[in-house]
Amino acid sequence: MEKVNHLLANRDYYEIRLESIGGLGANLCGKMLGELGIKYLDLNSSSFSSYGSEKTGTPVKGFIRYCEKEKEIRLHSSVVAPDLLVVFHQALLSNPETLHGCSEKTKVILAVESGIPVLPKAHEVYGIEAQKIAMETHSRINIVMLGAMLKVLGLTDLSAGERICEDTLGKKYPEALEGNLEGLKRGFEEIYKIRTEGESADNLTKLPAAAASPMAMESVTEAATATAESMAEAGPTVKEDFTGTTRPECGYDNAPLGGVNPRAGSTVVADLSPSRQGFIPIFIKEKCINCGLCFSTCPDMVFQFEKGEFNGKEMMINQGLDYYHCKGCLRCVDVCPVDALVRGVESEHQKKDFFLPNKELLRAPKDYEKTGPDGYVTSESYLTEQRMEGGEV
Amino acid sequence: MKKQVMEFASGNEMASIAIKQIGYDLMGYYPITPSTQIAENLDLMRAGGETDLIMVAAEGEHSAAGICYGASVAGGRAVNATSANGLLYALEQFPVQSGTRYPMVMNVACRTVSGPLSIKGDHSDIMYMLNTGWPILFAATAQQVYDFNIIALKLAETVRLPVVVAYDGFFTSHQKGRCYRFAKEEAVKEFVGRKKEPYPFLDLEHPVTVGSYMNEADLINNRYQLHLAMEEARNLLPSLFASYAEISGRAYDMAKGCYCEDAEEILVVLGSSFDTASEAVEEMRGAGKKVGIATVHSLRPFPGEELFSVIGHAKNILVADRQDSYGGCGGNLSLEVRAMLQRFGSRAKVRSLVYGLGGKEFFKEDAKEMLRLAKESGEDFAYYGVTAGETKKEEGPLFPPITRESTCLGARQNLNAVTAMPGRIAPGHGACPGCGIPVNLNLLLRGIEDPVVLLFQTGCAMIVTTAYPRTAFRVPYLHNLFQNGAATLSGIAEICYRKQEKGEIPKGDIIFIMVSGDGGMDIGMGSALGTALRGHRLLIFEYDNGGYMNTGYQLSYSTPLGAKSSTSHVGKNQYGKTFFQKDMVKIMAATGIPYAATVAESHPVDFMKKAAKAAHYAKTTGTAYVKAISACPLNWNDKPMTERRVIEAAVNSCYFPLYEIENGITRLSYDPEKAGKKIPVADWLSMMGRTKHLLKEEYREVREALQQETDRRYQELKKQLSETFPTR
Repeated sequence: MEKVNHLLANRDYYEIRLESIGGLGANLCGKMLGELGIKYLDLNSSSFSSYGSEKTGTPVKGFIRYCEKEKEIRLHSSVVAPDLLVVFHQALLSNPETLHGCSEKTKVILAVESGIPVLPKAHEVYGIEAQKIAMETHSRINIVMLGAMLKVLGLTDLSAGERICEDTLGKKYPEALEGNLEGLKRGFEEIYKIRTEGESADNLTKLPAAAASPMAMESVTEAATATAESMAEAGPTVKEDFTGTTRPECGYDNAPLGGVNPRAGSTVVADLSPSRQGFIPIFIKEKCINCGLCFSTCPDMVFQFEKGEFNGKEMMINQGLDYYHCKGCLRCVDVCPVDALVRGVESEHQKKDFFLPNKELLRAPKDYEKTGPDGYVTSESYLTEQRMEGGEV
Repeated sequence: MKKQVMEFASGNEMASIAIKQIGYDLMGYYPITPSTQIAENLDLMRAGGETDLIMVAAEGEHSAAGICYGASVAGGRAVNATSANGLLYALEQFPVQSGTRYPMVMNVACRTVSGPLSIKGDHSDIMYMLNTGWPILFAATAQQVYDFNIIALKLAETVRLPVVVAYDGFFTSHQKGRCYRFAKEEAVKEFVGRKKEPYPFLDLEHPVTVGSYMNEADLINNRYQLHLAMEEARNLLPSLFASYAEISGRAYDMAKGCYCEDAEEILVVLGSSFDTASEAVEEMRGAGKKVGIATVHSLRPFPGEELFSVIGHAKNILVADRQDSYGGCGGNLSLEVRAMLQRFGSRAKVRSLVYGLGGKEFFKEDAKEMLRLAKESGEDFAYYGVTAGETKKEEGPLFPPITRESTCLGARQNLNAVTAMPGRIAPGHGACPGCGIPVNLNLLLRGIEDPVVLLFQTGCAMIVTTAYPRTAFRVPYLHNLFQNGAATLSGIAEICYRKQEKGEIPKGDIIFIMVSGDGGMDIGMGSALGTALRGHRLLIFEYDNGGYMNTGYQLSYSTPLGAKSSTSHVGKNQYGKTFFQKDMVKIMAATGIPYAATVAESHPVDFMKKAAKAAHYAKTTGTAYVKAISACPLNWNDKPMTERRVIEAAVNSCYFPLYEIENGITRLSYDPEKAGKKIPVADWLSMMGRTKHLLKEEYREVREALQQETDRRYQELKKQLSETFPTR
């Protein structure tokens, strides 16, 4: 049994927080980490997820606590100041709550998708191209992230990780095991250190056997600046208590009685782009015949039509998409009879030509709040686990 | 000591393991968060052949409690699991069961009672049980959930009372940690013993009557017997705990303290907060503070004497409750503690706090703050952790009001023209990517030009649109319970008509629409039928996604035969759901309503036309009912972008035929056979992960049964078609 006593030097608990969105398997990953601690690292452990969400695209947090084997874990509250913070989806960085509680002692692992953002305050920041590796190995992001975590936790080899994968996946989905073990291995081997605030770019140190993608390196500066700026803008407006929870604006003094809500249509201030998983519909206006099928299939009321003329006839004309509310389901691409809507990779379309905010608005919201869908579902879907484990989708 | 093995498990998982090991005969249940996982876990075990437990998925908690009661009367061992509103819905069954003295065990994963709706944990549900005559054991950890489940059945069958095992929803029900269980079921079975029946109900040679009618001379004696049974439970529990400690090595008391012996300030809490606060107390002790923490493991009988011996000597006691007995100056635990302290003559200063409602987390820091408050002078009773709020400058509405003029386009049959209609529902809602619900709501509402008033029953549609402080609705909207939305809307409609008659609000047609889905037509069917039979002028719209999707996809009565769900797993002993989808249109039509129809997003123009027709009947004649088949990419397990094709396949396979019944005349709106598009049901099943397994050879019989039933229903439908109104 591998010993990781260094984790518990100077502290009673070693605390890990996973920041993810539903569908990436953070829940199962947390469970595996917990079990790993107890079965193979000679520790006691507990694990749980943020309550209330297992919906696709919804922000999900996972919490894992390790302590000495002899100690009982009596803390049932979520992890506020993690020793290890693991971000499964880069878009989550746009929400300041994601990094709450990070201090100089925190290590951060980030699933890098496009560019490498600068992360403030963290002691050490690591990147891993989890999605790419997962696709190449036919594994899941969560397993790649698990491999990366094991490296940062200071495990010398992968045997404990492999055993927990076999325990969890082997019996139920033996056909998925091989790919996942490969994903685990590459996560362990390909994690690399990325720069932190105040660190110069040429000071990057690779972990042994790391292989940073050159493409990602080139885009460091641009993405870093963008993220730093957006965070500065979002930072001061958020009111939090020590747990990082945003304090509600509506309280007992000013909230309408009974929870009555007079803010008609106020969900429009939500920016749901974090719930997209890499793809967006691209609108080719020249091809559009304004049939309205896209409008009829869109669950998110994205399409903006206005009165106009088409082929000499007066009718409603499709002007474009409101990408604030597009969740990237691509239903519209599937129904479009003339290929005026096609699937695009979001990172290749930073500037979206047909981006039109909702035309019915009287005024633009002061700011769009980045969010995922609302969480509610609390049991894992019976299929979620299968998806996470690399089963068929 | 009996041999035990370690499990890395949650409270719900440990409850399931205990239930399996005890070897119950029957579980009657209805899914409700956060207790649902117990039924899910047991169904999985059942599918895999690990248990032969009879599992009955009731159509609501009231029935679930009835099923368990019946099983217990018949001499079976019955178990249930519920939470929050489910517990309250079933409430009237509980005193019947204790009053007639039939034992069983019910797990309650405690959750806040709505409304406003919240699914998170507090103790507002369990306190409704205090006066039902059920002993209530309260587990603070997942380990205790397991242990108390075993002890509870022994207690129940000894004193002949049904027993609750309660624990914190999510904090205990969902957190995984190190637990131990007996290696062999025999250890559990030996402890619990065999069930004895004083009056075997199914002994036909010695018939007994259960459930007498009693007059005043008798009832009080029956109740006194119940009181005596509870006292017997009080006397028995310590010895049960002791004999359980002998086989498990884990000793429990009815009341428990930590660092209380010489404590001057003591915090009293219930559930998982005890553990968290223990860490705080340990740290404060390290800093020389004389503080302690206490809890009870039995709410009924309330262990007054035991608790007094733990906390009676303290100078300052603060009791913190995760619920409020509004107007009683404290939560119920607090009131019980105060009464106990008075009874045994304590001189402690007592303060009561209400904290952690709706699952608001309790941190170590909170415990420290509460222990500081215990010492301070101040209000006798207060809320902890409330926010006053900040009134900001009003920024004005985001959207213009929706006027009658803006929605009356006269364009309902044209997909292009309806894009000009303002959206009654704003974007930014939180449905999953590709969800069919907003698509169906859009098509429905764009087919209706008159102003609308909406009422949603509980389900995904309401959750994702109204997360406070936001709402997606731009029209009047009310959420009410899962089971009585139609009845509630009847009340709204009647008042509207009265106000219009009196001239208090402008005349003009308003369409009242009740939206149901996620199995709302199971638990809410009675209310919908009652509304239809009374003939209120309103529209009932059902988005049928074929499962209880808002709670993680448990089977509903409209889940297809053979489909996998979290309560109809596929395994060596089970092929998925075991009965056919119910024909809700036929049931509704049998009430004689003027209009009933099916719609599908794959036929959007037909959809909007029927919405318009239904609205016409809802404003002029009586109740109209429209049912859509609604895609759920998450739980159907298919790709979000393909959903319209999946829906079209359901229609083309005749699993979901498009038709309407207007004033008793049935018309087919679309005949896949005539269109040359008819496909076998298997083709539709193959498109979804939840039913894909049915294509395997081993499930041929199930697949063929579904095909036959589909054909039978379709032929029956065709027989009803009126010859004078041929298919369009």
